[in-house]
Amino acid sequence: MALFRYQGIEDVVAEELALLPGAEELATLAAVDELARQGDRDLIVVDCAPTDSTLRLVTLPEVSHGAVRVLLRLQRAVASVVTPLATGVVPVPLPDGRVFRDAERLLYRTLRRLRERLLDPGTTARLVVTPERMVIDEARRAHRDLSLFEIGCDAVVMNRVLPVEAAEEVFFRDWAKLQVERFDEVCGHFAPLPVLTAPLQDDEVVGLERLSAHAAAMFGERAPAAVLGEPAAVHYDASDSGYRVRLPLPGADAEELDVSVVDDELVVRVGARRRALLLPGRIAAAHLCGARLSDGELVVEFEPPAPIAPQAS
Amino acid sequence: MRVLLHTGKGGVGKTTLALATALGAARHGHRVFVLSTDAAHSLGDALGRPIGARPTEVAPGVVAQEIEVLAELDRAWQDIRGWLRELMRDGIDPLVAEELLVFPGLEELIALRAVRDVEASGDFDVCVVDCAPTGSTLRLLRFPDALRVFMEHFFDLERRGVRLLRPLVRRLGSDRLLPREEFFDAFERLYRDVEDVRQILLDGDRTTARLVVNPARVVVAETRRSFAYLSLYGVATDAVLVNRVLPEEAGAGFMARWAERERRELADIEASFPVPILRAPLRDREVIGAAALGELGAGLFGDRDPASAFTRNRPIRLRKSGHSTVMEIALPGASKEEIEVTRVGPEVLVHVRDASRRIALPTSIEGREIERVELRDGVLELSFAP
Repeated sequence: MALFRYQGIEDVVAEELALLPGAEELATLAAVDELARQGDRDLIVVDCAPTDSTLRLVTLPEVSHGAVRVLLRLQRAVASVVTPLATGVVPVPLPDGRVFRDAERLLYRTLRRLRERLLDPGTTARLVVTPERMVIDEARRAHRDLSLFEIGCDAVVMNRVLPVEAAEEVFFRDWAKLQVERFDEVCGHFAPLPVLTAPLQDDEVVGLERLSAHAAAMFGERAPAAVLGEPAAVHYDASDSGYRVRLPLPGADAEELDVSVVDDELVVRVGARRRALLLPGRIAAAHLCGARLSDGELVVEFEPPAPIAPQAS
Repeated sequence: MRVLLHTGKGGVGKTTLALATALGAARHGHRVFVLSTDAAHSLGDALGRPIGARPTEVAPGVVAQEIEVLAELDRAWQDIRGWLRELMRDGIDPLVAEELLVFPGLEELIALRAVRDVEASGDFDVCVVDCAPTGSTLRLLRFPDALRVFMEHFFDLERRGVRLLRPLVRRLGSDRLLPREEFFDAFERLYRDVEDVRQILLDGDRTTARLVVNPARVVVAETRRSFAYLSLYGVATDAVLVNRVLPEEAGAGFMARWAERERRELADIEASFPVPILRAPLRDREVIGAAALGELGAGLFGDRDPASAFTRNRPIRLRKSGHSTVMEIALPGASKEEIEVTRVGPEVLVHVRDASRRIALPTSIEGREIERVELRDGVLELSFAP
């Protein structure tokens, strides 16, 4: 950050700064955004890292927006007191307000742009599973966590489904039976998202030819680039008693859920993830009066504040 | 305490084999702790029962835990948090303090501390770590390096600066805004913890990595790079575990080509990694639950004790050659074009593709010139002039 700008430390630690948390993810997202803004492509396909890193990637703009806000505020608070006194007293030049303003503007602008890219209706996530218990369990949690951050999923792909000719072999009999159950389970759990299947081929899928065959089996007549299913979204509605916020949280368990309102933000914690959603002004002014899980959605109810009656004089 | 790190490409079966290893080690009489540091925890899924953040006995002699990052962060940063809260008492919402604490990347650091805590308890002989997929694990390993640089170049200056300023600022009545000593102490404690863990991880007598692969081309290629990176960070790999090898009875008919390909890949694996290669066959059903995992472990290790070191290779060694001293860094699978060596004061900066590490030189060769840099049979040799 800006504080590193003194004493040539820039050169010494530039290397390590690149290793600091979040730098890689930020660079990845920025590269995707850059490609998208060039406008000469119709589709960008991103091959993400396994679950945890992907969630880190897609939640980064929001999470670091918060973190950066705190850091900048802190440093500015300290610097506003310290800088006038500091010159000539300590060997470490402290940054002045201008440095902070520049850093702030740059970071906020970048983060906001990346966040918008992720929330664009044209950006959707596809969850890839195999017909195995552990893989499906992890995808279910990923779906929940992506939904928390409003990253819409539009399809699930089940890869490596045993084709009939393999399923008939003795060794794979149990696997074949199991995967029928798993498929139904996946359809049920991720409904209404379409579940595409890609059969196990008779050799490793390497090279353009095999990859194209894989695509044909997976999509059939469907256009791979289309938004295939309706990604769930956050809704802010008026209700009988006030307002209602609906946040899709498929597969969430009431036990691991924590909902609160802090100032103008609705804070939802699910398992190890936490998100602060900025509420529209009118809802922020209302009182949180209840939250429940219903059909894979978190429904939060708000009551308008009691009107203050004009006092008789 | 022996530490066994399990990593590999996503979906190869790290968790499954980590648990199989743990159960096997317990059968050899070790007291075993299984730790998941992958934020996408799967221990519970593999065992078919919830595990969670409290150490849970999952089989005789085996205790498992999934590190819960938010709770751990709370614990680790209490002092820092206190200061933030105080600082922000007026006007700024209290939530911001918490936001700072989920600064992306802190998870790895916290996960590292857990290994030290397990050792400090003295209750365990073996700690089996189910790491995140390769990329994140490497980040976990280099985090201490990054933190060290931060502490050395930035943190001390900051602390000294604040000490000098405090009397001046106090006169203005606003020293509340300066971080208190506790803030720095908390940071230093964290740093010391991480240093402790670093010592454990880099001690080849205690800690080795096990790379989990499948006999598939895309997996093997990535794992070869991981082996070199681990080596670069000073972590010795003592075995490669090949998961889901088609057994003979499954390798006919539809699977004939797969079986043929696997034979080639297995030969390639044997040739790629200078360590023992152990195989776990594909089973005819899913391997879920302690009983099935134990069986898999028995097949994988046979009579061997899973906790023993299967080979002793130090990733970084020094040897004398005439009057020169040669530093050898094992980088199997790396090519000359991918390597860059730079001298930075008392350290050597080694780049291998997109990974880099600063290696502190022992005092005996600290001031010496590098005469020659060579890559020979997967070993990078740096010759230091006498």
